[in-house]
Amino acid sequence: MAFFAVFPAVFFLALLSWRTCQSEVLAEHLPLTPESLSVSFSSSLQRLDLQWTVHKLPYQELQMVFPIEISRTETSKVIWMGNYSTIVKRNQVLHWSWESELPLECATHFVRIKSIVNDARFPELSFESNWSSWEEVHAHTPGQKPLLFPKDKLVEEGANVTFCFNSGRKHGMSCYLEEELIHGEQLDSNIFTFKLTNVPFIRQEGTHVYCGVNYDLLDGTVLFVSKVLEEPKNFSCETQDLKTLNCTWDPGVDTSLSYDRQQQNYILFESFSGKEKYCEHNKWCTWEISQDLEATYNFTLTAENYLRKRSVNSAFKPIDRVHPKAPESVQFENVGATSAVVTWKIPVLGNYFTLLCQIELHDKEDVRREHNVSIKVNGEFLFSELEPDTEYVVHIRCANSKRFWKWSEWVTHTLVTAQAAPSKALDVWRIVKSSKGFHNVTLFWKPLSKSHANGKILFYNIAAKNLDNESELKLLRIPAPANGTELTLDQGSYQIQVTANNSVGTSPASEIVIAADSGNEEVEEEKINGTNDGFLISWKPQSGEVTSYIVEWCEHPQNLHCDLQWKNLGPNTTETFISSEAFTPGIRYSFRIYKLSTEKTAYLVEKKTGYSQELAPLDSPQVAVKNLTSHSFTLSWEDYDTERQPGFIRGYYVCLKSNATHCHPGSVKESLPDKSTCCKHDISDPKQKTFLVKDLQPESFYEFSVSSYTSAGEGPNGTFTKVTTPEGRSHMLIYVVLPMTLCVLLIAITCYWKSQWVKEKCYPDIPDPYKSSILSLIKSKENPRITIMNVKDCIPDAIEVINKSEGTKAGCMGTLKPLTGSESSKPANNYQDFPCPAACISFENLTYNESACDSGSCAYIPGPATALPCQLGLLASPDNLPNTAEDAHTNFQGDIPAGEISLNYVAQLASPMSGDKDGLLINPPAPELCSEYKMQMAVPSHLSSPVPSEMAASPEPF
Amino acid sequence: MQKNTSTLLQTYLQYQGSPFSDPGFSAPELQLSSLPPAAVPFKIWHALDDGERLSQAQGAFQALTQHLQLVGDDQSNLNPGSPILLAQLGVARLRAQGLLGNVAAIMNALGLPVPPEKDTIGVVPFGASAFERKCRGYVVTREYGHWTDRAVRDLALLKAKYPA
Repeated sequence: MAFFAVFPAVFFLALLSWRTCQSEVLAEHLPLTPESLSVSFSSSLQRLDLQWTVHKLPYQELQMVFPIEISRTETSKVIWMGNYSTIVKRNQVLHWSWESELPLECATHFVRIKSIVNDARFPELSFESNWSSWEEVHAHTPGQKPLLFPKDKLVEEGANVTFCFNSGRKHGMSCYLEEELIHGEQLDSNIFTFKLTNVPFIRQEGTHVYCGVNYDLLDGTVLFVSKVLEEPKNFSCETQDLKTLNCTWDPGVDTSLSYDRQQQNYILFESFSGKEKYCEHNKWCTWEISQDLEATYNFTLTAENYLRKRSVNSAFKPIDRVHPKAPESVQFENVGATSAVVTWKIPVLGNYFTLLCQIELHDKEDVRREHNVSIKVNGEFLFSELEPDTEYVVHIRCANSKRFWKWSEWVTHTLVTAQAAPSKALDVWRIVKSSKGFHNVTLFWKPLSKSHANGKILFYNIAAKNLDNESELKLLRIPAPANGTELTLDQGSYQIQVTANNSVGTSPASEIVIAADSGNEEVEEEKINGTNDGFLISWKPQSGEVTSYIVEWCEHPQNLHCDLQWKNLGPNTTETFISSEAFTPGIRYSFRIYKLSTEKTAYLVEKKTGYSQELAPLDSPQVAVKNLTSHSFTLSWEDYDTERQPGFIRGYYVCLKSNATHCHPGSVKESLPDKSTCCKHDISDPKQKTFLVKDLQPESFYEFSVSSYTSAGEGPNGTFTKVTTPEGRSHMLIYVVLPMTLCVLLIAITCYWKSQWVKEKCYPDIPDPYKSSILSLIKSKENPRITIMNVKDCIPDAIEVINKSEGTKAGCMGTLKPLTGSESSKPANNYQDFPCPAACISFENLTYNESACDSGSCAYIPGPATALPCQLGLLASPDNLPNTAEDAHTNFQGDIPAGEISLNYVAQLASPMSGDKDGLLINPPAPELCSEYKMQMAVPSHLSSPVPSEMAASPEPF
Repeated sequence: MQKNTSTLLQTYLQYQGSPFSDPGFSAPELQLSSLPPAAVPFKIWHALDDGERLSQAQGAFQALTQHLQLVGDDQSNLNPGSPILLAQLGVARLRAQGLLGNVAAIMNALGLPVPPEKDTIGVVPFGASAFERKCRGYVVTREYGHWTDRAVRDLALLKAKYPA
């Protein structure tokens, strides 16, 4: 039992002893602590490079873990801690790097390291060392001027970059990315940091970041941002000469920067040979083939720039990458009208390869014919079934037929086949016009298509043979490119043949016969309706043998040269659709259908006319009014040309405006644009060009207009013409007025004939007193000296105005009263001193008074007063005389109011037998000398009493 | 020549990007220790005797010639795609050399000692950052203009002094 009690104690002691022993061994291995730690840095890479050793490694190699701590600014501010695990070899110098997000220049960094043995093979070596001492890293010498870091950093687009700025205790500092203000954080009292995320590519010259205080630039840096390098695309190699491989690729985006001419480079590496080539170009590189063509090449193309590498791989045998060069020496041999041989060569490759060549033949219509030919070096191919005189384009390319890689480039050559005689007869037509015993034949033909001409047509031959007299033959040669000619033939039947000729030969002849009666056919024209697309022309099948039908029309009928067209149709055809781009709405087209007999004689069988689209009439008829009566009139528009309208005239509308409220039966009331109404008559017969307007009212006003219409509508409304119906009895007036006029005329003529008789009856001649019978009586019975008074013997009366005193006046003219009551003491003038003789002779002639005076028969006859045998006594108050005389004088020079005539004197000879003794004046004593004369006076009736005395007082003639 | 210096400065700034190409860019605080500034108080400038005046101009244009060469090299590296700027910098350097020769001839004519050419730049500052090199170019092209203006005034003063 004691043994059992002691044993555990001994075992414990033994174990303790072993442990102590082991600790001593481990204590000997403490040099496993990292030693010789040195820290260097790379400013451009912002990287700390650590280097250390582990001395006295007990084994050749040992798995170890190295915890590392990095502090910034001061050792206590650890910013990163991590483990670096590696197998450490004896005497190995260990390296480890750490990239700093912040530029290392921004702050002092501290690094320390320790080691842990962690090798499963040597569990007894489990050990953790103490930390090494802190290693201090100064990337930037303190005390320098304010600086911004990192300098000239290269990053890829989209990267994040942190800047720091040592402000050197300056205040008011701000930083910018190009022109944009950026905001930072304060790292310590002097250091600011700015973090830019996802930086953009701006330019190859770099992006500026700069800081300043106020407007002073303190420092700046250039951030070079490049595009991200891409993997080369479409990398492939091929050979054209079996000696050189030409490798190409698409480099993608250009990542180059101007800074130190940074650009991407390409390196080609072949793994089997281990050769590498620096490529001079960004897109291609050449590689000499040094091995067998059937050997495999394994290429790696690496693109690299300052920041990145990208690689692509391609493995192949050069024999599988043969890309033949384009065929050479292409030639055409034995070129005929329908066939030709082409030959070519493939250079370089030699007889080693069998090549497949592709030949394409294009003509101008781009019809493509493809042929495949297998060749070695020289190729040859026969083209057949070619068109004469045609230009073809020939393309040839070749490829390695057994190990196809790529077709060569196309090589292109032009082939022109030889000419041949025209292969088709011309399509010929004619117009025949007969005049004066001749046929004027205009021949037309359509030029042959290129496929039928087989060469350039040089001329056309025309042969006209008289069928009645076969010896008569006319030959014409019309140079191309004419498409017609004119012939004048006599009335006989002629056979005309037309051929086209090129440099090789003549076409088959085209034949047409002009019959003796051609050009005189009379066929009624039928109206047809066209469409915008064209006209459907149909005709009745003709009896007899017909070789073909021909439809003829003018494409521009309104033009002088109507552009004759024709269409040749088979003998069993009875309709055809004729379309043309030239067909215009509103234009009338005429179609003539001919049948062509077996003798090639054309006979007109039908005529059609129509419009592709009818339009409303262009103008309205010019209307004349005829047979105007009080109850009717006739409208007429005979001159209206229906053929020139853009549609078939279907009828006319007559629009009649009147005061009547109702329209006559047969007409419809219609409102007009001017809000008036009219009665509209529809004349549905286009040939009726007159219209009787009846049942009208006499002396009424009517307005009418006439317009035509087609199926497309009514023409423009004509202007309204005004008509007024005459009076109903006007004809009666004619019956009365006409005879009366005739009667008056008759009377006038009669009067003219009987004028002498009328004169004698109405106004006989005044008798000559010298021839009077009374004269002879006087002469014989009384004084033989007495004769007829002569005018020259008569002394005309004179009026003298004499200024006379009151007493004189009273004594002389007791009965006369002064004209006015006013008196004047002034002597009037030199008339005043005439005495009034007692035996005054007075002449009076009272034959006329004013009322009897006619303007044509009255006259003033003035005479000198001095010739008077006696002086007139004063008949008027001397006071009144001057006024009176002045008034009279004045009045004679001016107007003479009838009531103011104060003095009017007329002296006229009169027959002694016609003297009037019933004058108003008091008869003065009449002396004998004056017994034969009477004074004649024109006296205003209201002054008949006083005036004569006043007139007598006027001594002066007027 | 004065006009050309102004054009050179504008062209130079235009090719450098912001902030240099910003309208109205000016950074008078930027100087180069290897390049004497042209700015001088008028009183001092006026009091200079002929020898001092000409030797200062001589020294400045010696330095400018070398600096323009340096700026040309910098720009062919930083802005290889700007032949106009590179050509103008080349022309400016030749003009500076021409003026240098003229000043030396005047000094000889006046019997003044011509200072020997010295290496003003010193150790090649290859390590300068791109931004520093751009700033350096700006200072050189700016001072080139200022020194040209000053040289014109210097020569005008001398001309007035020695009319013959």
